This record gives sequence, C-alpha cells and structure tokens, in this order.
Amino acid sequence: MCRSTTIGRWLSFVLICILGACCLAQQSNPPVAHDVVIKNALVMTVTHGNIKNGSVYIKDGKIAAVGESVSAPASATVIDAGGKYLTPGIIDSHSHLALDDDVNEATSPVTPQMMMQDAFDYQDKAIYRALAGGVTTSLLLHGSANMIGGQAVVIKHKYGADRDAMLFPGAPRSIKFASGENPKRVYGSRHELPSTRMGNFAVMRDAFVQAQDYMRSWDDYNAKVKRGDKDATAPKRDLKLEALADVLRGKLLVQIHCYRADEFLTEIALAKEFGYHIRAFHHALEAYKVPEKLAAENIGIATFADWWGYKQEAWDAIPWNAVMAMRKGVRVAIKSDSDDFARRLNQEAAKTMRYGGATEEEALKMITLNAAWIIGVDDKVGSIDVGKDGDLVIWDGYPLSSSAVPNKVLIDGDVFFDRSLPGYGMPHYSEGQ
Amino acid sequence: MKNQGSGLRCQVSGRQFSVLGFQSSVVRKVMIAALVAGLYGAGVPASAQPQPIVLKGGKLLTVSHGTIENGVLVMEGGKITAVGSAASVKPPRSAKVIDVTGMTVYPGLIDSETSLGLTEISAEAMTNDRIELSDEIMPHMHVYDAFHAESELIPVTRLNGVTNAIVAPDSDDTLPGQDSFVQLAGASAAEMLIVRDIAMPLNFTGAQRRNESWEKRKFPETRMGMAAQLRQAFLDAQDYQQKAAEYKKKKADAERDKKSPPAAPKRDLKLEALLPYLEGKKTIILAAESPSDLETAVRLAREFNLKFVLNHISHSRPVLDYVASLKVPVIVGPIYETPKDYERFDAVYSLPAELHKRGVKIAFASFDAHNSRNLPYQAGFAAGFGLPADEALKAITLNAAEIWGVADQLGSLDAGKVANVVVANGDPLDVKTDVKRVFIGGEDVSMTSRQTRLRDEYAAK
Repeated sequence: MCRSTTIGRWLSFVLICILGACCLAQQSNPPVAHDVVIKNALVMTVTHGNIKNGSVYIKDGKIAAVGESVSAPASATVIDAGGKYLTPGIIDSHSHLALDDDVNEATSPVTPQMMMQDAFDYQDKAIYRALAGGVTTSLLLHGSANMIGGQAVVIKHKYGADRDAMLFPGAPRSIKFASGENPKRVYGSRHELPSTRMGNFAVMRDAFVQAQDYMRSWDDYNAKVKRGDKDATAPKRDLKLEALADVLRGKLLVQIHCYRADEFLTEIALAKEFGYHIRAFHHALEAYKVPEKLAAENIGIATFADWWGYKQEAWDAIPWNAVMAMRKGVRVAIKSDSDDFARRLNQEAAKTMRYGGATEEEALKMITLNAAWIIGVDDKVGSIDVGKDGDLVIWDGYPLSSSAVPNKVLIDGDVFFDRSLPGYGMPHYSEGQ
Repeated sequence: MKNQGSGLRCQVSGRQFSVLGFQSSVVRKVMIAALVAGLYGAGVPASAQPQPIVLKGGKLLTVSHGTIENGVLVMEGGKITAVGSAASVKPPRSAKVIDVTGMTVYPGLIDSETSLGLTEISAEAMTNDRIELSDEIMPHMHVYDAFHAESELIPVTRLNGVTNAIVAPDSDDTLPGQDSFVQLAGASAAEMLIVRDIAMPLNFTGAQRRNESWEKRKFPETRMGMAAQLRQAFLDAQDYQQKAAEYKKKKADAERDKKSPPAAPKRDLKLEALLPYLEGKKTIILAAESPSDLETAVRLAREFNLKFVLNHISHSRPVLDYVASLKVPVIVGPIYETPKDYERFDAVYSLPAELHKRGVKIAFASFDAHNSRNLPYQAGFAAGFGLPADEALKAITLNAAEIWGVADQLGSLDAGKVANVVVANGDPLDVKTDVKRVFIGGEDVSMTSRQTRLRDEYAAK
C-alpha cells in the first residue's frame, strides 16, 4: 500500500509544519490521527482470542477492522509488526502519577470537592515512562488519607500533547473513598477524628447524613420550581455536599481503598444504608477471604499481584488473591498505585498465571478490559474490537513475561512511543526545542 | 536499602515510610535468636540431609559449564557430589531418586542486598531493626545482632528459589553497619549466618544528608559534610590502628625486657570496626547514584586504600567507561529505580547490559525484603534490555558468589559445592515459572509459608 505522490507531498508539507511548530514550542500537538493499518501481528484481542498474522485497521483513531486480513484504503499508513505481539493499551485503574504530590488534601477526612484534574501536571515525565511500559489510560485518584477523598481524572498517556488532549473524553466521574489504617494514622496522629475504624465510619455516616439533607433541600426547591412557585429560593450551593449528593444519586463511580475482609463488609453495609453502589475495592488484598460477597454485589477489585507486608492491613496478602477472587466471579484488575509498577504492569499481570493459574487471556484482561470496567470506559477501550479507540501496543517479546518491552505504543491510532527512535523515543515530543 | 517514596499515597510502603517518620523511631527489638558472639563467619553449617538425593532427567543450568539436557545431579551430605548427563553419572545405591523430567534445575539464587530478617511489617516500627539513625557513622552495628531467623518473610523468599542473601542495614547512614551473608534455611540464626561481618556499606548518594527540614537539619547537611565526616572517621581509625600497633610493640618490648606491661589503650568499638576495612581485609560496598557522587566516593575510598565494590550507580550512565576502568564489580539495581527526567525511559533498565558489554562483573539485588522473592524477574527484565540471559542468571548466582568470596561453596551446579539447588517448571528468570522444589544444604525444604497456609485455609472454605 503506497501513498500517492500527491498525498506524499501533502504529508511532507504537514510534517514540515509540525517540525516548524516543534521549533517554536517545547511540546507540539500531535497531528490529527490518520488511517493506520498494523499488519503481520499476533493480535491478542482479549475478547475473541488471538489472531496469528492478523491486521488491525484504525480509522479516525478508532478500530475499524480486525482480522486475518482487513481492507483499508491505500492511503493508510502501514506498520508492519513483523510477527510481534499486539495487545490493547494497558489500563491502570489506580494511579497517582502526574499529580506532583498534590495527592492528599489531608486537612479534613471528607474532601469530595477536590478535583484531581486541578492538580494534573500534564508535563510530568512519569506519564511518558508509563507510556513506554505500554500504558495508554490511567485513573488518577486522590490519596487515601481521607475517608472521602476527591474526584478522579481519567487520562490518556498522550505525552507531548497539550493538557486537554490528554483528558479521556467522555469518561465517567469517579470518587475515591478510603478506609482502615491511613485515615486512622493521619488524623489519629493529630489527635483528631478519626483515629479508629469506628471513627472512620462515623465520619462517613455523618457526611452522608448531611448530604441527604442537602439533596432533600435541593429536591424540594426543584419541585417548587417545577410547580411554578415564584417564591422558591435556591439553597446555597455547597461543593462538598453537592459531590456527596451526586454519589447518592449514583452519578459517581465509587472507588474504595480497602484492605481487610471485614471492612469490605462494613463498606457494603454502609453503601446499602445510604443507597449508593460501590464500583470497586482498591488494594483489596483480602478479597480471597470473602470473594462471594464481592461477586454478589458486582464489586470489582483493583489489586496488586504480589505486594505485601508493607503495613499491618497488608500482612495477610497472598499472591493467589487475584485468581482466587476471579474464580469466584469477581472482576479483577491488577493496578500499579505506583509510578514504578505502572511501567511493568504486564509482568505484574503475568504473575497471576503462575499464582493460581490464570490463563493468558484472563491475565491480560486484568490490565485491560477489567481495568477499563472499573474506570467505566470498557465500551471505549480495553480490547481490540471494532469501534474501540485505537490504543494498541506492539511488543518486543511475549507480553506476559519478564522480558517483554513495548516496541510501539499507539493512542487513538497515533504512535506516541516508538522504542526504535533515538532520544526519548517519542514522535510528538522532543526536549528543549 | 533505598527510600524512593515521596509522600503518603494510597499505600504506606517500606519505600515511603521514612517520609512518615517511622524510621526515626526505630527501636531495637529484643533478639529472638540467641547468637554466638564473634566477628567472623562460622562457615557453611552442618547438613541436615538424611540420605543422598538424585535429581534425574532435568535440564541442568549449571551456570559454570553450560546446560545439560536430561541431566543427573547427586546431593550427598549437604553437598553436590556429581553433575552430568544421565549416561555419565551413576547415582549412589541408597539414594532417593526424584524424577524431574521437564523441569529446569539451577543453583540457589543469591540476593546481593536485602533487609531480610531485619523487618517484618514495614510500617510497624516495633517490627523493624533496619537502621540506627542516631549517628551517621555506625560501623559497629552488626546485622547478625538483629537477624530474625524466624521471620515469616524468609520462607516466602526461599519458595521462589532465593537461598542466600546479603542482609544489610538501610542506607540512610553513610556507614550504617556491617552486612551478613545468610542462608535462608537453618535451625537457628547461628546456622543461617554464614558470614557474620562480610562487608560494610559506605553510602554516598546524598540521601544520608541530615537536611530533612529546616528545623531538623544538622551536620552533615551537605555532601561536603558527609565527606568530611567520613574522612575524619577513617583518620581516627588510622590513629587508633597506629596506637594499637604502638601498644603491641611496647607490650612485646616489656615482655622481652621483663618489665611491667604498658597500659592498654581504651577500646573503641566504632573505630575497631573500621580496621578490617582500612587493612583491606574486607570489602566496602560503595553506593552512589550520580557520576559526581560516584567519583567523590571513589576518591574517598582511594584516599584510605579501601577495597571496594560499587553499588547502584543507577544514574551514572555517562561515566560507564570510567566505571569499567575501576575494574571492580557492580551491584546493580534495582533496575526499577526511576530514571531522572533528563534520562530516557530505559536508562536504568539497560544499565546491566551496558556494564556487561564493558566487561564489568555485575550482580543483582532486590534492595528489599518482602519482594526479595522477585529477584529473578529483575534479571529477566534486564535480559529484555540486552543482557544475555545466561549472564542474567549468572548475575544472581555465580557472579554474586564470586563477589562475596563464597564461590568455592555456592553459585553453580558443580561437584563439591553446597547443595543449594532449585527445581522449577521453566525459565528461572520468567515471572510465570513456578518453583517446585528447593534444596538448601541438600535438605528438601518445605514448600510452605504463611502465605501458602492462608491460601490453603481459604481455598478450602
């Protein structure tokens, strides 16, 4: 498939414009994604098996065809994968990168009005380093100092693009809750509430009771307006209670940092008491003790593969946790919670094949489709299916191994990382220009 | 050990907890194991192997002399007594024969820096004996005094084929104390501590500065201060050495002249601890990250003729030829160390391959305790960045044994060596490989840990 001469000239012109722009600014916006065909790949679709010698056609940034052969216009850019493995981009369902340590507003145990987007440092090189490890999407969460932390931001790792281009379009809102040792330690060390698990949950209950009142006052007001009551006065807006009211209205995905089996059950009871649903428990190192309870509530987990012992509530962690929970019907994701682990989530997922015998597809799902479900973007990313975003990784080596390294990473059909390039290996970024 | 953390995030890890202030309150724990006093190693412990064991049919990765398909390995009296092809080795009659067809067999792995036995739960101060932060110069701290033989981390680690480790104090002091070389099985700490004071870290990464905050800063709060303090310590030790020599001479003279003996100089354990290093009898493990720190540390070591190996050098990529010119081994890693913003994503991942290319002998270390079991994956990852796979295995076996002076006993499958042998169902460096059996001193070690017990308990429910 050769480009026509005219298109070639046109592309050269575009390229010159881009290079020119590079000279003016440190970072340049990537060009509009054009048509791309990746051919001669071992395609690991995640949803419908592997395709040997497969091709993927990406049109306008979306996957338009997948198969042993695909039909694409002659103008499409062809990437010959040379028989290498092709997977969906890795999705990290628990990250704190690019937040410049603005992770915890640890001045009050209830801070749902914090927006991680306001702290998002789109120039943080950690985004690039994770990208070079195959990560294309991350959920950037508030820390765990607070029982109710802030609202997350979902990003695509388009390093070199501008800030807004990195925000995942249409991703649902998530909020971070925490429990256990961290809030206890942070506030307990200041002799404030909470310093016990009793205090932790009392703080939450209190916040939701206030939110119920707030929601009621707005519901009353809206009803009055609807009735045509001209004397209706709007209640004062309170960002904190508004966010909690949105939790009660089911508008936010609730992501809860929680380690212990008994605390999962308390969290579930609290959610039922106030009528919200829990999307996922994060860390969830004791999920293997009560997997049926989580499966029954359709609560996913975002867990570590084998990390343990770093604190008391991580003492009963076992590396079989992910697969034991999965076998009982829990949707399991392996996440990083670390700028370091984010760079090798494929190895972390591969550990589940050894500890408990996850299949290749099950292991891969834990860092793609299941992670996407936790974030609420599984209709857009997480597998190689027609209609999904062109977020793909070409690997040097078998991805579920110690020695695999991403060769190229595409986001929305555009190559954002290419290991074969000098410097940082990023087509859309160069330092100091 | 390295502290890479930058604040309280979702987890509070060992790497992050210095930020939370736990390390400053580390309190020495009552020793559980009764240790035999003495500075020098007791050698390899007596074997508990009851009968000869033959591993038959496996793929032997000898490390020292290639791979033997369908091999036979014999262990007797705690030692490897024969290694070879099925045709060439005749197993002893009384032996227990284990068929390991389809398995790989390789030497026990050696982790060249851990805090195994010094920590249990990272964030719980009372379960940690990792470092004395009361002073920067603490050469008289001995890991063997705190080594917790019954730590739950040890079975977890050896289940992945790690049979030996250097146990080191954390790295927040310039001279935090002396390392021990341990075997991860044994009836007591005394049996597990193979070499009690094997080497001494000298940390010059900048993390040792006492500049934590404006209120808490004290000497040395700069690298200049660190260097001056180290220099003074070694000068004091030289002075101590000289006084000891003078005393020895005076004492001999007095004996010869039948006069009353001179007064002995006052013992100073701190300075005494530095003597084997000043005399070049033991190895200093010189830790630095950046080229400038590396060169300063090397200059310091040379001022006092210290024998040294290098540690980390993660951000010294521009000076690898200089490193090679030093002709000393390097303990690399962790290769998961985050590159600086000016470095390419693989600057640290590919360091082992770059050092190997320049003829530098390397060994990997986990620089961890709970994750020491993942040592082979680090070597496997380095292989993905150009380190030949056989060299990667060597860097967690024979190279480490050579660096630590125990290559006559450990590090390869050779007759005469201690029978620390691992049987697994695949490539030792791959994350998917399951370790099936571990022999330490010829003893078939139980493949259980606190974690397998929890697994079995809840799987049965």
